[in-house]
Amino acid sequence: MEQVGERESEEFTLVARKPYFDLPTACPVCLPLFIYLKLAHFPFRLSFNSIFPDSDQIPYVESGTYVAYNNENGGVIERLKQDGIVDLDSEFHSVPDWVTMKAMISSWLADAMMYELWVGSDGKSAYKIYYSDLSWPIGKVLFLKQSYSVKQRLGITKDNAEPREHEIYKRAKIAYGALSTRLGDQNFLFDDRPSSLDATFLGHVLVILHALPETSVLRSKLLEHNNIVRYADKLKMELIESSSSSSGPQIHSVPSSSTPKRGPSNGSSKPKSKPKREKTEEEKKFKRRAKYFLAAQLLAVLLFLSVMGGSDADDMELDDEDEGIVYG
Amino acid sequence: MSNPDSVPDLTPPDSERQKPFDTNEIDDEDGNDGDENDVEDDDEDEDGNDGVFRGPNRPKPQSREARFRSGKLKMESLLQRMKTGPVSVRVHDVIIKGNTKTKDHIIEAETELLNNVGSMQELLKASQIVNLRLQALEIFDSVKITLDSGPPELPGTANVIIEVVETANPLSGQIAAFTKAEARYSTVEGSLKYKNLFGYGDLWDGSLAYGYDHSTELSAGLYLPRFKGLVTPVTARAYLLSQDWLKFSSYKEQSMGLSLGLFSSEHHDVAYNIAWRTLTDPSQMASRFVRRQLGHNLLSSLKYTFKVDRRNSPMRPTRGYAFVSTTQLGGLVPDNRSLRFLRQEFDLRYAVPLGFYRAALNFGVSGGVVFPWGNGFSSKPSSLPERFFLGGNISPVCALGGPTTLWGFKTRGLGPTEPRRHVNDGTADPSGVDFLGGDLAFTALADLSFDLPFRWFREKGIHAHVFACAGNVAKLTENEYRNFSVQKFVESLRSSVGVGLVVPTSFFRMELNYCYIVKKFDHDRAKTGVRLTFFAAP
Repeated sequence: MEQVGERESEEFTLVARKPYFDLPTACPVCLPLFIYLKLAHFPFRLSFNSIFPDSDQIPYVESGTYVAYNNENGGVIERLKQDGIVDLDSEFHSVPDWVTMKAMISSWLADAMMYELWVGSDGKSAYKIYYSDLSWPIGKVLFLKQSYSVKQRLGITKDNAEPREHEIYKRAKIAYGALSTRLGDQNFLFDDRPSSLDATFLGHVLVILHALPETSVLRSKLLEHNNIVRYADKLKMELIESSSSSSGPQIHSVPSSSTPKRGPSNGSSKPKSKPKREKTEEEKKFKRRAKYFLAAQLLAVLLFLSVMGGSDADDMELDDEDEGIVYG
Repeated sequence: MSNPDSVPDLTPPDSERQKPFDTNEIDDEDGNDGDENDVEDDDEDEDGNDGVFRGPNRPKPQSREARFRSGKLKMESLLQRMKTGPVSVRVHDVIIKGNTKTKDHIIEAETELLNNVGSMQELLKASQIVNLRLQALEIFDSVKITLDSGPPELPGTANVIIEVVETANPLSGQIAAFTKAEARYSTVEGSLKYKNLFGYGDLWDGSLAYGYDHSTELSAGLYLPRFKGLVTPVTARAYLLSQDWLKFSSYKEQSMGLSLGLFSSEHHDVAYNIAWRTLTDPSQMASRFVRRQLGHNLLSSLKYTFKVDRRNSPMRPTRGYAFVSTTQLGGLVPDNRSLRFLRQEFDLRYAVPLGFYRAALNFGVSGGVVFPWGNGFSSKPSSLPERFFLGGNISPVCALGGPTTLWGFKTRGLGPTEPRRHVNDGTADPSGVDFLGGDLAFTALADLSFDLPFRWFREKGIHAHVFACAGNVAKLTENEYRNFSVQKFVESLRSSVGVGLVVPTSFFRMELNYCYIVKKFDHDRAKTGVRLTFFAAP
């Protein structure tokens, strides 16, 4: 009776930010993961957390006691690959073009998205996506904090605002051009097969097209490439709008070489629990003993002062009425 | 504790002259009221209207002894009159002196009841009460009340002269230990107080409190005795609170808020609290239920406490009863995104003296329930920090903060649990569980305390006790109430018995107990053995 949650541990759940603008999740970090799982025909449930906009743990994928957080191991997609749960990229790692395109999307396009959401469009769309479920004072303060932090990260100051904006848009334009050329008339970016690159790029494109206002400069630059718009609309229809029958074939697209990579490659981005576990038992015991020792000392001093000082705590009877008046 | 120096002077309203009675310092008190405005009236002693044990030394050179004797006679005759029946007198004027910074209306507000006295006896009593109230404002170093006869053309009247000395040093600091009602642990607090900054009797304080459960609170508060004609004092407190529950429930709680004490009397207390609360999990090991609760919340709640405490001592109750009921309603802003819940808890304690060795039997029952409200409330989970957790280092006999603890069980040591995240790093051992608390909690206790037969122990107040307790928490939200049955709840009651030594000190009450766990469940953190518990009176 005490164990809460004896649910099916096999079922995977994706926890993402709230849906908005006709998208299953409107956050540009969460949407690529959603699309990735859909592209892989991986069955999962969708759940939302809309009260923690400043968390870098979201989105995460969980199943029973297994959790893959966004801020560990290079992201959820990487973690799922390493754990052998779902991997679409097994054959692309060695393709140099693929790697450079990935680098371009995760730097230039990511910066452009961040700029446009928080600075370019006055943050209205960002407010709706991240803060609309928080009480107003909290939402407002967090929004201002995040806007400031984005400007810091993009290196925007009062003096270089315009040139910086110009640079961001220029890079985005180059990226869109390159991706449009890469895409051509195919269904997917590489080898006509879906990969995590498609998921990331598609996520970016869908947020630009649906969440940003029509006055957005970035949006207008994207609209210049018809094949990208077609690609996005087509995949959106396939993956998202027909997701009422979301439980596709129950196949995990696990590649043949599915030995999960462990060992030194995990070193730098292990979850925080690892270093805690590695702290030796002896250290913990020592610290605990030291704490008890100090507490016992303090207690002894207090006891000595109070008990030896003769406390009459039980005999306190406050008799206010007659104390002050002395009569003959 | 009243100031023994503030004995009011007795001056009869008629032309009888009285020298006030003064045990020790008769010679010193002559004529210290010579500059009172009514001393020049023909009926009064020029020197006689003191009677307080302080004052400037103005000796009259001649016939002091004669005056003393006649004064003593008059005093005795007045007392004789007072013994036989009420001596009617009415207060004509209340004169306030000595307040340079404090506004008059603050002092006058405390002296209201002087206007209604009808007799000398009532006047004396009222003067005492006014004196205590003024001292309770904590802004005066001393308060002196003198009774004087009224103007001669109005017989049967008296004037009351209140002389106050404002605190020379408005800044004071203290370190105290206490057990707050909401805390599960006792806290040590260091505070700085600044008195009477604006002359409204306002008390400002800043404090830093550290709780044994790794909670830290930084707060600043204001206490106003009279705010725009409100009957009771108003308190406001802004705080920054941080609590670390990582070891027990894998989350950390940070709150920033403002709490307003709206109404406070002996039995009732109403407070409003608005806070921004954030739950985070830096360890990234939380269980599923806790993960869903992480984030920011706006807490806007009204809390009503009804308290009756007729026990003879909060530290060692041997007679009397106490009943406390606390109701907290959250979600008072029209915004439906704020936290909406209703929390009710109650405590009942009853102490029966047994007559020998100062023995007493203490019975106690505590219970509480929390439930969200609003659309779809039955399937929504209750908020984690609002739930009930049992276990800790507080002595259940004395603590009146709802169901909080059972002897022998560690902090948050029992109730529904959920397994934490498992990280596959090669080791097979499980990561442990998170204690989630419950929506319904119940505890009951019985405690027999008695003095030890050794005189040394009795003198120090150290006594022994034998105890037994039982308790349980259960989940009701998220549709679990459908599976709830009282029988299952009772069957899964945890219980423990034990015996121990109680050491009351001037700061706190400490118990050294040997607890035997009679019934516990798999994941409960409880061990048979020796444990220390504390209680510090708030």
